[in-house]
Amino acid sequence: MTTSTPFVAPDPLAHASRLDVAADLLALLRDTHTEPRPDTQLEALTLAVAADLPVLLWGEPGIGKTAALTQLASALDLPLTTVIASVHEPSDFSGLPVVGDDPAEQGVPMAPPDWAVRLVRAGRGLLFLDELSTAPPAVQAALLRLVLERRIGALRLPPGVRIVAAANPRSSAADGWELSPPLANRFVHLQWTHDHDVVVRGLGGTWPRATLPRLDAERLPQAVDLARRAVCGFLSARPTLVHRLPSGETRRGGAWPSPRSWEMALRLIAFATAAGSGRDVLSLLVRGTVGDGPGLELMASLDRMDLPDPEVLLARPADAVLPERGDLRQAALDGVVDAVRGRPDRDRWDAAWALLVRAMETGAPDVVVVPATTLASLRRADWPVPAAVERLTGVVSLSRRADEAGRRAALAAKAGR
Amino acid sequence: MTVDAPPGILDREKLFAARLHAARVRPYLATALFALHPVESRQVPTMAVDRYWRCYVSPAFVDRTPVEELAGVWVHEVAHLLRDHHGRSDRVARQRGLTGPGERLRMNIAADLEINDDVYGEGLTRPRGAVRPQDLGLSENQLMEEYLREFRLGPGLRDLAWLECGSGADGREREWDLGPDGAHGLGEQDRDLVRLRVARGITGRPGSAPMGWQRWADEVCHPPQPWRELLGAAVRSAASGGGAGDDYSYGRPARRSTALPGTVLPSLRRRPPRVCVVVDTSGSVSDAELGSALLEVAAISRAVGGRRDLVTVVSCDAAAQTVHPLCRSAGIPLVGGGGTDLRTGFTQALRARPRPDVVVVLTDGQTPWPVSRPPCRTVVGLFPRPASSWDESDPDHQPDRPPEWARVVTIGPA
Repeated sequence: MTTSTPFVAPDPLAHASRLDVAADLLALLRDTHTEPRPDTQLEALTLAVAADLPVLLWGEPGIGKTAALTQLASALDLPLTTVIASVHEPSDFSGLPVVGDDPAEQGVPMAPPDWAVRLVRAGRGLLFLDELSTAPPAVQAALLRLVLERRIGALRLPPGVRIVAAANPRSSAADGWELSPPLANRFVHLQWTHDHDVVVRGLGGTWPRATLPRLDAERLPQAVDLARRAVCGFLSARPTLVHRLPSGETRRGGAWPSPRSWEMALRLIAFATAAGSGRDVLSLLVRGTVGDGPGLELMASLDRMDLPDPEVLLARPADAVLPERGDLRQAALDGVVDAVRGRPDRDRWDAAWALLVRAMETGAPDVVVVPATTLASLRRADWPVPAAVERLTGVVSLSRRADEAGRRAALAAKAGR
Repeated sequence: MTVDAPPGILDREKLFAARLHAARVRPYLATALFALHPVESRQVPTMAVDRYWRCYVSPAFVDRTPVEELAGVWVHEVAHLLRDHHGRSDRVARQRGLTGPGERLRMNIAADLEINDDVYGEGLTRPRGAVRPQDLGLSENQLMEEYLREFRLGPGLRDLAWLECGSGADGREREWDLGPDGAHGLGEQDRDLVRLRVARGITGRPGSAPMGWQRWADEVCHPPQPWRELLGAAVRSAASGGGAGDDYSYGRPARRSTALPGTVLPSLRRRPPRVCVVVDTSGSVSDAELGSALLEVAAISRAVGGRRDLVTVVSCDAAAQTVHPLCRSAGIPLVGGGGTDLRTGFTQALRARPRPDVVVVLTDGQTPWPVSRPPCRTVVGLFPRPASSWDESDPDHQPDRPPEWARVVTIGPA
């Protein structure tokens, strides 16, 4: 066994080689892989930035907001400029007043900082304003002018520059900065959280690589049409949700519905549709724009918009496509029965039976029971029972079995008492 | 006539007849029941759910269980998902540091207790072997988190060890789970919407659902507010607004000025906020409520940089008492009782020199309020009182709401 001698004369060569070993170790530690993984947060952020809306990321410090922005910048092919708001002074954003030779004659110009000059010269880029909420109030005031009016001193940011800001949640912010309702209404608020599995796997050497959405050029008109129908249809049914100032402490500083934020929601629905994004992504965006309650209700109404049109189903029952999910399927069938009730004639009634048979053959039979009972009650005296009803015997016996179970349960309850 | 399927093959008709029966006796759960996607599985002992709303069903279990009991199992399984037992299990596991399959089994049992104490009856049969709180000698109507504190695994629970409601009940992945990418799973958004629809159905028709479901629906529609955080944010925001706390001022040149000749820069100045807490000591506010709220305010004002001697306390009933600095910490005499008039408390607080930047009022709101806005920021910590508290001599009396200019945080039990 070898032991090291405690006192060795310092050897410059040995020193260098020790640092080399350290560099090797660092290189080994940096050697990580990536794997593709869906990331709804990052997808939502990408869409909002693509839609040119100011985004505010709310998240605790140290959970990878900067890493996400780096990934976003490379995906959108934009140079990233990070500005840590809390280490700057207000004049860094509103411009440094420089006293010239004759201030009374020439005025005092507001000189912009170097990063702004470089950004304007480049004409495009992603500006990330980090730690917005830990900056003193005067700095925040100057920053909001930058976000909303896109001005730094005498400079105006070109349209190719996209801005993302980040803030700590109110409860953990050192000084309680919060947005006033008019300001909050101009942002898309995204809550940034970390995924435990992603962090553990990343520390183990494999970080996720999000596949970011791409807009499909062919779907653009269709996306705009869908977004307009979704928002207009929803707001004409729920007029009180067009404008609702946040009341109470919880909703303060967050998203709330107004014509401006509904317009933002409309734009985001169009972008999400054109990109083929999933419901979870759209939900994050819509709730971050008009608030949780109205956002959820809009998502629910989108669900109903997705249900097949009863008239289309009735026109071609043989190759109708019904939703897979039981509750949506029952809603679709109820819609069909309602349509028959609204304009009853024998052909439509027969077509509805054919649809119920198709529903029973392609999915769970219990969802068919209630629509079938209602449809049977719509029969006129001179309509013969259609042949399709023969094939619904399974539904009838199932319903009977449920009835028997109900009777037995009632008897048992009586006996137990 | 009903024909049972041959053994070993899933009797779908029986399974769906049970679901239909469940939906008939529990119409407010129909949306959720139909949203469940059944998957035949031979690895599951009975029925189990995963967090993506799939329901794994053992054909043998369906075979040997009567329809009315199967209906009870359907409701039981869907209740796990609606009440987010997997998410709550994960949170409890993190908070209390519970690891291992044994702890997850305890979570499954606790979740079962929360469901089984009130979903059966009224046409729904309790399945055989469903564990109830009284089987473990526990009281009813508690939440899963509370049950979890009250029992441990032991020989007495050996016959419960077959319990298996799947990853949807306790958050631990099972070998039969199809995972997030499998077919017919519900995404997070879909799950939220189903939950919201069921909750709306229950709150829309009060009286038709038992208390446990009502409580659940109320929480989905109006989630409980973290009052500590809200109160903290309100006080912080009031204390760090203009005129108090750190901010830039041109009143004195900045240190950077010498390095930049010809440039005028503001400097960072600091003025710690003065906070005055007006405490409603009338008989209607309990000492425990006051104590916790007062501690909270003191902690918050320290966190925003207020020194202890800058926090003062006024206890107030019908007449305000004198102003006490908080540095005499333990010995603030909260004298009072009887009726309240907070107006005198405000007067007393504002009479202090220098004047406070923030007045925090802790009250149950059964008091008259000042007519005009006081010259400082006001935060009201409100102890909620049931609407039924009324004055016998004046039945039409409605206590005034806190005024518009105050920021109001409702202080809950948690």
